[in-house]
Amino acid sequence: MGAGKPEDIIARQAEEIERLRERVESEQAIHDLRRALTLAAAAGTIGAPVTHDRLLEMILDTAAHVISARSGALFLLDEETHELVFEAALGSKADAVMKFRVPLGHGIAGLVAVSGQPIAISDAESDPHFAADIADRVGYIPKSVLCMPLFYGGRVIGVIELLDKEGATSFGPYDMEALTLFANQAAVALQQSRTHHNLAELIRDVLDIGDTQQTTRLAVVVKEHPTFRSSLELAQLVHEIVSEGDDETEACRAMLRGFAQYLRLRPGAGDLGPR
Amino acid sequence: MSSRPAWSAAFAAESLPTIEAIPEIDDVTPEWAWGESTGAGVKVAVIDSGIDADHPAVGGSVSGYVAISEGPEGLLFDEEPHTDAFGHGTACAGIIRSLAPECELYSVQVLGPMLTGRGGVFAAGLRWAIDNGMHVCNLSLGTTKRDFFAIFHELADDAYFHNMILVTAANNMPIPSFPSLYSSVISVACHEGQDPGIFYYNPEPPVEFGAPGIEVRVAWMSGAWITATGNSFAAPHITGIVTRILGKHPALAPFHMKGVLRSLAANVPRPRL
Repeated sequence: MGAGKPEDIIARQAEEIERLRERVESEQAIHDLRRALTLAAAAGTIGAPVTHDRLLEMILDTAAHVISARSGALFLLDEETHELVFEAALGSKADAVMKFRVPLGHGIAGLVAVSGQPIAISDAESDPHFAADIADRVGYIPKSVLCMPLFYGGRVIGVIELLDKEGATSFGPYDMEALTLFANQAAVALQQSRTHHNLAELIRDVLDIGDTQQTTRLAVVVKEHPTFRSSLELAQLVHEIVSEGDDETEACRAMLRGFAQYLRLRPGAGDLGPR
Repeated sequence: MSSRPAWSAAFAAESLPTIEAIPEIDDVTPEWAWGESTGAGVKVAVIDSGIDADHPAVGGSVSGYVAISEGPEGLLFDEEPHTDAFGHGTACAGIIRSLAPECELYSVQVLGPMLTGRGGVFAAGLRWAIDNGMHVCNLSLGTTKRDFFAIFHELADDAYFHNMILVTAANNMPIPSFPSLYSSVISVACHEGQDPGIFYYNPEPPVEFGAPGIEVRVAWMSGAWITATGNSFAAPHITGIVTRILGKHPALAPFHMKGVLRSLAANVPRPRL
């Protein structure tokens, strides 16, 4: 097989350059996003419970911006009722749909949640049910959808659904790849924020206190207690380092391990020492 | 009679079977592999969200059904005809039928409205396919839960030893998913082409084959069609081709099938007949 005409070669190279350029841009965007999420997760750890909702909005907003989607929605899974709970939406009716629930048994978001696999769909004019579960919520029928599961600890904890790729008829494989990386980061941030969000609930359950105001006050006290605050700060620092990547994580682990070993070997280390 | 080491009886002179020859790997041609075959006589299980038999892409004929779910006292197996609540299984079935129009499709529904026990339901679907004599199984699904690693490994081996070709879609996300990472399965991801007959071989496992799965037109629920992207849609292309090959060469084992597919992959330069 010959090398082809020079203009064909140039055209192929131009295509390749364009592909690489898009890739570099998307990687930069993912890097920016990772930083933003690290900050948001840290903020969620020390901020007020409302930060959880703001984090959800921020995740959706950033994903839509990075992937160039016109709008979208974010659902979290309620494992007890087998429903997806509409937690955030971008679109004309966004405010009206909060906490709307969708059973897992149908729809694109339901499919993605039960299969654990992302999917990109477009060109569905012949399907009267296309994205029916979301169309009403965002105020229009989308032409293209990219839907991605949010995994944490090997389990699906939610679904992010982006609608209508700007400047193209559908979401492509690069969009899927970029949203995958984004979704991994988002799921970690979400889960951490959710744990914090439930702190007041946890205290209420443990102490069997019915009064929500009292529980919230107690949660604030717990958070402001010097011991608790210093634990939070430590966790926050470790989280920040881990979010930077595998090398940074390994370096952090090695330093902490070394220090712990030093403490164990120190004279008078007691039960922690070698036997 | 002297005792033999375990497993050696099959190779004793009086029981050694004569096996039908297949062409040298470089002599395999598409004509030899699937020429004139429609997939007739080949049983194909689609383990997914169900199949809508009435969709034109499926053409009204589904040979058998089983819907598996978790009940209060264990797994439930319902063999009454069902449809497809999501469209995903119908999409896979439509692709298989387009390549192997006379194959026998079996709908093994494991995706339903519940997440509880999903891994167990999914494993039961694969067990059902093995126990019910399926020749090919399309699995455009997987589980990421490590707890199921051993269960699916055993099932994939069992499928292999029963000569059932297990075609799996690689996960669309870069996370380990079972059974698509096992050597006994044919693992598939998507390439950018649109020709349903073009597939590629990847010498760097675990994902050994690539087939169309980017913006492909597929059947969906309620008789509709959509354009979809995902490895889910690449796997049934290979399932369809495997089905056609088995229609002509029913005795091929999974290890032959990988060799035949490798020989006919579009990135293996050879004269094609």
